[in-house]
Amino acid sequence: MKRTYEEINAKIKNGDAVVMTAEEAIALAESKGVEKAAAEVDVVTTGTFGAMCSSGAFVNFGHSEPPIRMSNVTLNGVPVCAGLAAVDAYIGATDERPDSEPKYGGAHVIESLVKGEAVHLKATASGTDCYPRQEIDTYISLKTLNQAYLYNPRNMYQNYAVATNSSERTLFTYMGKLLPEYGNMTYSSAGQLSPLLKDPTLRTIGIGTRIFLGGGVGYVAWEGTQYKTNVPVRNGVPSASARTLAVIGDLKGMSSEFLRGLSIHGYGVSLGVGIGVPIPILDEDLMKTAVTTDNDIYAPVLDYSTPSRDRRPIGEVSYAELKSGNVEILGKSIKTSSLSSYNKARVIADKLKNMITNGEFLLTQPVEKLPEERKQKPLNICSKDEVAQ
Amino acid sequence: MMVKKKVKLRFVPEQANEPITYVLVKDYNLRFNILQAKIIDGGGKLLLEIEGEEKCVDAGLKYLRDCGVSVKEVCDFVSKDETKCTNCGLCVSICPAEAIDMDRDTWVVKFNTEKCIGCFMCVEACPLNAMILKI
Ligand code: SF4
Ligand code: SF4
Repeated sequence: MKRTYEEINAKIKNGDAVVMTAEEAIALAESKGVEKAAAEVDVVTTGTFGAMCSSGAFVNFGHSEPPIRMSNVTLNGVPVCAGLAAVDAYIGATDERPDSEPKYGGAHVIESLVKGEAVHLKATASGTDCYPRQEIDTYISLKTLNQAYLYNPRNMYQNYAVATNSSERTLFTYMGKLLPEYGNMTYSSAGQLSPLLKDPTLRTIGIGTRIFLGGGVGYVAWEGTQYKTNVPVRNGVPSASARTLAVIGDLKGMSSEFLRGLSIHGYGVSLGVGIGVPIPILDEDLMKTAVTTDNDIYAPVLDYSTPSRDRRPIGEVSYAELKSGNVEILGKSIKTSSLSSYNKARVIADKLKNMITNGEFLLTQPVEKLPEERKQKPLNICSKDEVAQ
Repeated sequence: MMVKKKVKLRFVPEQANEPITYVLVKDYNLRFNILQAKIIDGGGKLLLEIEGEEKCVDAGLKYLRDCGVSVKEVCDFVSKDETKCTNCGLCVSICPAEAIDMDRDTWVVKFNTEKCIGCFMCVEACPLNAMILKI
C-alpha cells in the first residue's frame, strides 16, 4: 500500500479523504490490524496542548508622527525585545512584568492580543535625526498592528522527562509544584496523541509542513532548538526528550482557547500552546507508528531535587501508567499530574480532522527534511582559545 | 439532624484567652477540624469545619458570636473558573483531600467542594489561576 501527497490532497479536495484522530486510528488498528487500517485511512491527526516556554511573537507597531526608533519597550508593563528595526519587537513568552503576582508576562500579552484586547505600549528612545521622537505612550491591539506572528523556536518536544522530588522540601519548577518525598509526579506530553511521537523519525514532518497552531494555521519553520536524535528508543519511539520544532503562524486567526498565558508559581511565565499535526499515511510503516499506544511510549523519571543538568533517571514509566493517575516506582505509589491538557489535545486532533475532512486544510510535503542526526551540546565554562575555530 | 459547617473565625487579642475550642467540645458537644490557624495583625484567624446536631452547631456559633468573635459561615473555600481551566490536571496530584479528580473518559477535571479542606494548595499550583479563593 502506497499513497502520495498529491493523491491525498486530491481526495481532500473531493471531500472523500478518510481522516481519523490518532485515538480513532488506534481503535481501528486494534480491531482490523495495521494493514487494513493503513489501506482505509488517508490521514491521522494528532494534537497537543502544553506549556511551551520557547515561544514568542514578532510584531510591527507601525510608525508614529513624528517617528520613533523604539529602544525600551513595554507592553502592559512587560519589557519586550526591541533590538530590531525602529518599530519591530519580539514579545518573549517568558518575559515578566516586574513585581507581578501571580506572574504576568509576555505570554499573557500574546493571549490579550489574540483576544483582540487593548494592550498598553510604552517606549522610549534616544532620538535621532531620522527618528526624532523620544517617547510614546499609547494603546495597540491586533487590529492596529501591521504584522503579528507567533515564532516559537522550540515547541512540541518529542517526549519529555517526568518530574518528581525526593528531597524534604517542596520544589517549584517549570514542571509545576513537586511535593516533598516523592509526593507527586508531573509529566508533560499527550503520549499517544502527541504529534512527533506518531511519526518518530519525521518522515512527513519538515520545513514547510502546514500545521494547526494556536487555533489557526501555522507552519514548521525550522528544526527546534535543542533538537536531538541521539536518544534511547523503545518500541520505535524515543523514550526521552528528542526532536523539537520551530513553528510560525499568524496571530490573526488564532484563539485564546489554544494560546494561553500561564503563571507557574515560584518559576515564572510560560505560554500554553495548542498544536496539531496531520500525518499522511503514505504507507503501512507510517500507520504502524501513528497507532503506537500509551502502553508502548515510555518516559524517564527525573528527580528534580538534583540541581544538575545531568540528572540520572530513577526509572522509566509508560504513558499508560502516568495517565492512570498513579505510578509504582521505587516501591512507592506516586500520584501523577499532567502539565499538558489531554482534553485539549483531543479537541485539537478532532478540529484538525474536521478541517481536513471539510477540505479547509491541505497537506504539504516538507520543503526540506529535518536533520537525521543531531547531538545536543552543553554550555561549558571555556577560555577564548578553547572555543575559537 | 447532624450537620457540617465550614466557618471562618476572626478574633482580637482580648478574646484570645477564652478557651473557645474547649467550650465548643465540652458544652456544645461539637466535633471539629481545624483547617487553618493563623495569627495575623490585630488578632487571629481560624478556619474550622464543625460537625454536630444542628441545634448544637447553631448554639455553638451563637456562643462564639456572644464572645465577640466574628463568625462567617462559608460554602466554598475555593471555586473553579471553568472558563480559565484547561483541564490539564496539574492540581489533581497536589490536592491532599482528593477533592479534585480527573475523569479519565472525558479528561475533564472535576472539583468536589464537599471534600475540599481549604488548604489552598491548588490556588498556587494552577498555572491558569483558575482556582479562586472564596474566603
Ligand atoms: S491546574 Fe488549573 S487549569 Fe489545570 S486542571 Fe487544575 S484548575 Fe484546571
Ligand atoms: S483548597 Fe486544598 S483541598 Fe481544596 S481543592 Fe484545593 S488543594 Fe484540594
